[in-house]
Amino acid sequence: MLSRTADTLFWLGRYVERADNAARIIDAASRLATVPVPTAARSTEWDSALAAAGAYSAFAARHGEPTRDAAIDFLAFSPANPSSIRSCLETARNNARSVRTALTAEMWEAINGAWMELKRFDGAMMDRQTLNEFLSGVKEACLRFDGSAYRTMLRNDVYYFLRLGFYLERADNTARILDVKYNVLLPHESNVGGGLDYFHWASILRSVSALTAYRWVYHDSLKPWLIADLLILNEQLPRSISSCYGNLATYLDELSQAYGRQGPSQRTARSIRTRIQNTSISEIFQRRGLHEFLTEFIADNARLGEAIAEQYLA
Amino acid sequence: MRLRIQHETAYRYATPANRAIQILRLTPRGHQGQFVVNWRIDVDRDCRLQTTIDAFGNRVHSFTVDGRLEGLTIIAEGEVETQDMSGIVRDQVEIAPVGLFLRETPLTAPDEAIKAFADDVASEYGPNPLNLFHGLMLAIRERMRFDVRATDTGTSAAKAFAEGHGVCQDFAHVFIAAARHLGHPARYVGGYLFQPAIAQIQSQGDSSQAQIPAAAQDAGHAWAEAMVGGLGWVGFDPANGMSPTDAYVRVAIGLDYLGAAPVRGTRYGGGGEELSVRILVTETGRRR
Repeated sequence: MLSRTADTLFWLGRYVERADNAARIIDAASRLATVPVPTAARSTEWDSALAAAGAYSAFAARHGEPTRDAAIDFLAFSPANPSSIRSCLETARNNARSVRTALTAEMWEAINGAWMELKRFDGAMMDRQTLNEFLSGVKEACLRFDGSAYRTMLRNDVYYFLRLGFYLERADNTARILDVKYNVLLPHESNVGGGLDYFHWASILRSVSALTAYRWVYHDSLKPWLIADLLILNEQLPRSISSCYGNLATYLDELSQAYGRQGPSQRTARSIRTRIQNTSISEIFQRRGLHEFLTEFIADNARLGEAIAEQYLA
Repeated sequence: MRLRIQHETAYRYATPANRAIQILRLTPRGHQGQFVVNWRIDVDRDCRLQTTIDAFGNRVHSFTVDGRLEGLTIIAEGEVETQDMSGIVRDQVEIAPVGLFLRETPLTAPDEAIKAFADDVASEYGPNPLNLFHGLMLAIRERMRFDVRATDTGTSAAKAFAEGHGVCQDFAHVFIAAARHLGHPARYVGGYLFQPAIAQIQSQGDSSQAQIPAAAQDAGHAWAEAMVGGLGWVGFDPANGMSPTDAYVRVAIGLDYLGAAPVRGTRYGGGGEELSVRILVTETGRRR
């Protein structure tokens, strides 16, 4: 396979996953925005939504303090934001078109359909119902693309590169959501277990679709360290960092077996996976600090991205 | 290096047993230089394998088999991808505090001879722990002769040292006893060693790979780890006079053999127990 093709597939996976994540982040933030806040305090859910999508500084440079409409427009539609849902789906569709023959018909239909559907919406003043319709449309399109890949593709290097893009992006996203909210996860003296905390915690879980999973795993009320445990270390949760790295290690291993040689990306993925597998949530909270752990992880994850790029995509 | 390991432990009872309980430490965990691609444990009777993590961080399986039992076979197999880290172990599971590994056990209690030997080595190689451990490893190898028939699993470090021979387990015990006597935390490691010469004989004997050939190794390998400030735990294999390379697969640790033993168990009733162990470690070819 040409490294250019591999690169296109890898980023196709990343952009589809990124669009899906952005939709979830907007969804969680707009739910949170309906929770009343004390009059003196400004609500911050759109700040953190922008930060979780990695778009805060780009937004602030253009629009200043976030408002609901401006934030949604920037996260979902703005061509100025390369990670907005529209930009992601557009790039993904362009990528898909250039490797059209490597994909199956179902996958192409899913991504092309999503792109055409997108034209029905524009960002200006979207009411709640239209927004919901839009967001579930995006999520469904991503789901259809992902599911078609799973059900119709040959398990060869084309599939592996696509999957690597998915999981690298997903791990990054989960880590960012946790990192943005980490101050909410830290115990406060005054309002532990307060109503507002509950909504914030639930919104973290919602943004990775893990609220029900949490109840199944812990049978307990929402506790910040358990939320972090679920999203970082629980291998059963498909969006946890641990699960993403299980998949990254597996698919990189498949690649190395298919090509008969291995390099820095395999070693990097394995060593990050081992570190995550061999740590515990109490170690993360008490010895290292959640924020420090996540910062280090996000850097590690980026390092793996570079290693993959250097080994296969350049 | 990508290693495929097949490890079969088979019991035969001349008089059938009524019940058997087994505790297995047969599952490697990852560290920086070791990645477990896949691993499974198979028992040829109906039973429920319970998984736990012991105080050292080893993955432990235990099970009970009821009913008339003429034999019992346990197979552990899988693939492990290894990397040469010059013996340095990083990012492993570490549950017990370092100081625990100074504790003396009956198998690793130093007698006067080992103490004197350790002090001699210490005066020769000086206070730098890395030098000291390398010196100790080589000194043990010079002093003791490898002999598979001379000792058994219950032989203490002192006895093996006095007789001047033993297997890898005894070499490791002597190393641990001496290191602890000198005030350094040290521990026992059980695992597998890939030996190309043996693997070649094995593959000539049987190419089908469906069954473990008769020429397999009949025991795993054992070495020691000692704490070196600044580096963390470092492996030393006194039986081969080197630190572990990518030919080593690290499975379990303990204060001595008993803490890291791959299979321990007991049975009710029965008699005439016969135990056979066959281990096959091969380098796997590339798939395509």
